[in-house]
Amino acid sequence: MEEAKAYIESGILELYVLGQLNDQEQREVEAMAAKYPEVKQEIEAIEIAMEQYALAQAIEPSKGLDLKIFEKIDNQQSILNIPVNQEAEVPVQKQQVRTEAHIVPLNAGHESKIRTLRVALAACIALLIVSVIALFSAHNELGDARNQIASLSADKQQFTSTVNFMKQNNSDLQKIIDMGNDPDWKTVKLAGTPMDPEAKMTVYWHVSGRHVMMDNSKMDLPVNDKDHQYQLWALVNGKPVDLGVFDVKPDTSSILVNMKEISSAQTFAVTLEKRGGSPSPTMNQMIVAGNVI
Amino acid sequence: MLLFLYISKSLAPTKKISLSEEELVSKLKSQDTIAIQALYDMYSGALLGVISRIIQQTEVAEDLLQETFIKIWNSADSYDSSKGRLFTWMMNIARNLSIDKLRSKDFKNSSKNQDIENNVDFIDTQKEITFNADLLGLKDMVTALKPEYNNVLDMVYFKGYTHVEAAEELNLPLGTVKTRIRMAIMELRKHFN
Repeated sequence: MEEAKAYIESGILELYVLGQLNDQEQREVEAMAAKYPEVKQEIEAIEIAMEQYALAQAIEPSKGLDLKIFEKIDNQQSILNIPVNQEAEVPVQKQQVRTEAHIVPLNAGHESKIRTLRVALAACIALLIVSVIALFSAHNELGDARNQIASLSADKQQFTSTVNFMKQNNSDLQKIIDMGNDPDWKTVKLAGTPMDPEAKMTVYWHVSGRHVMMDNSKMDLPVNDKDHQYQLWALVNGKPVDLGVFDVKPDTSSILVNMKEISSAQTFAVTLEKRGGSPSPTMNQMIVAGNVI
Repeated sequence: MLLFLYISKSLAPTKKISLSEEELVSKLKSQDTIAIQALYDMYSGALLGVISRIIQQTEVAEDLLQETFIKIWNSADSYDSSKGRLFTWMMNIARNLSIDKLRSKDFKNSSKNQDIENNVDFIDTQKEITFNADLLGLKDMVTALKPEYNNVLDMVYFKGYTHVEAAEELNLPLGTVKTRIRMAIMELRKHFN
């Protein structure tokens, strides 16, 4: 008795009627109601009070709402009645099916939406990762391609300069061959002086055209340092005339080198002078010399 | 058939069907459509009253009333008369559907909700409440309840709070909330019994 009274006064029965309890608490209340008639009575009294309270505050629904509801229920009925003829004796099963069929979509629609969104999110993330990887690899490949282009372009430049060099050589060689057929071209061989008996070089002179050219391929002079340069002279009636300065380098780019023009000369000679040349030759620095034949 | 009910109802709209609780339950469980007719006549107003306290928009509230009756019809099997009265079961279906609606995203987004504190006054001014003649004066009685008791009952009964949430909201111990709900219902019982 005391237990029932304390239970009633705890306020849990009101929460039971208001639908506030979880399954376990509900079962506990139901067990107590089954055990103590006064608990059951109390629950009923609370229910009646709430019912009266609700009835007292009733709001009349709009006219015709009842017909809408009956129509919906009737439609459900007629859909279910078609197959029911054959299994009219299993109304319980039928009802369960209908209850589930009615309730499940309410939640399922919502959950499947969430699931769809989750899948979509996962797909987006996967796509993002793939895109980043693709971008990164494309970036790397672009870098490789750039390097290849740069090296190809360098190759091409080298190739072009080689071709230009060979063209120049070719035209120089052609010119040297043509000189043999033109009597105006004089070939002057300059031989080494006591300063360097091994030295030698060749100068081509076109008498009427006044052109003077040196032949690098037939030149054998020591390489000059950066403070000095060789200077070519023509002796015209015993007077030295400056024909320009030149360097002897290990890698000469062209065969023929144009020098200053001269209309008449008896002798050509080369002296080693300070860089830029001198107004008159330093005679003891004469390295090669040769007369026009 | 229901068609017959439509006709009889539209011909005699004032005639209401009323059945005893046992009859109602047995007819509802055997899916006799007269049960839903009777339930509508007896309780649609009370249920709409409950729903409207939670959801103020008339249209939405009436949609929920429809849903409530369809769920009552479809779930009749799960009602167990040993566990409580039929109305309690129906009322909790109506409240749960309304509270689910109140908390649903689309409802929150679409409705310009009244301040929840003004619900009761709002309803009383906006809607014609059909008091039974012998219950006139109830409103005075309810508002005469100690406001702190009434407030807790209102939150739990009408506004979709669980008693645990109400305790947190009001910053009260759970025991106090339970006591106040009990006291408020005791007052109602005094009035009705």
